[in-house]
Amino acid sequence: MNEDTGAFPCAVKIQMAEPHISNNPPLVCWSCHERSLGTHFCSSCGKLVQLAPNIDYFAMLEMPRKLWVEADALERKFLQLSWKLHPDKYASATEQERELSLRHSSELNDAYRTLRDPIARVEYLLSLEGMRKEGETKQQAPAELLEEVFELNESLDELREARAAGGDLAGLKARLQDAEKSFQGKLGAVDAALQSGAREWDAALDAPGGAPDVRKKLLERMNELLNRRAYLRNLTLNVAKELAA
Amino acid sequence: MAYSEKVVDHFNNPRNVGSMPKEDPNVGTGLVGAPECGDVMKLQMKINPETQVIEEAKFKTFGCGSAIASSSLATEWVKGKTVEEALAIKNTEIVKELALPPVKIHCSVLAEDAIKSAINDWKKKKGIEVRPEDMPSH
Repeated sequence: MNEDTGAFPCAVKIQMAEPHISNNPPLVCWSCHERSLGTHFCSSCGKLVQLAPNIDYFAMLEMPRKLWVEADALERKFLQLSWKLHPDKYASATEQERELSLRHSSELNDAYRTLRDPIARVEYLLSLEGMRKEGETKQQAPAELLEEVFELNESLDELREARAAGGDLAGLKARLQDAEKSFQGKLGAVDAALQSGAREWDAALDAPGGAPDVRKKLLERMNELLNRRAYLRNLTLNVAKELAA
Repeated sequence: MAYSEKVVDHFNNPRNVGSMPKEDPNVGTGLVGAPECGDVMKLQMKINPETQVIEEAKFKTFGCGSAIASSSLATEWVKGKTVEEALAIKNTEIVKELALPPVKIHCSVLAEDAIKSAINDWKKKKGIEVRPEDMPSH
């Protein structure tokens, strides 16, 4: 499947020429003892550097914290970096460099796995920005959806019971199919809203001063959208599974 | 990760499953959800307007074993209690009783929220003021 079929299709290319937007202060290189600005390699001597302790996935892939990412460009960047960082290239290097190469490579893989998926990317950004912390911020359930979610779950139960009892399933199935269509429509709307949120986020980052107030609101909005999406996604999967059974 | 014996017991023999008419003036309904796992929990209570005692409690939860056990336990605990006593139930007591692991703590929070939101629904029907501290915990 084409990677571009995710929620955000192709758009602005990652600005490869831009130097790394890492929020971390420069570290001192273990090898040449110069202060190094590089994420992976020392800007002075070119050796692999220690990874900054709180480095994030965007910085790992040497990209700004933007959401609208072209899948092909991201993949190229990943391949290029993973080639440079690959442990095979350090097979005969010092033990320290071999270890660094392993650490960089495995972090890079995690970063790519997360950022290549548009939804995981938004989720990751939200956790970076402190919106989604496991066990700390309680996630709100979308109130207006709950009623519908509950009813659909009840219909699913009815279908299972009717199936177990060998009853007539046609009517129930038709009702579920309608419900599935309606939820698919809602899912599409959530994805569209996430897309525009992503564009607005990127625009806010580019705005003079980074428009912190706008970004805060956007984070809240995208967080709500992700919560809605989680429900819708679960439900549509459950319904599809029951209808196929 | 294994469920505790108590969770398994509530899951296999859920107490007070069912529903009551939402329109009944003495019935309070709480419908809450946790997007983390897509759970949805409905808890209803029939409350005596004179004594403010919870005479009946029913629940229906679509979700994981811990969510079902938490709501099943909540219905057991609120029955026979006054509204004030039920509002004092804390999710930590549910965690303790069911030995829920950290990743399932949100299920107990959901049950506490369901109790509060059912009581608040009933209070609204009765024209009783809902105190801000009794709003669901988020």
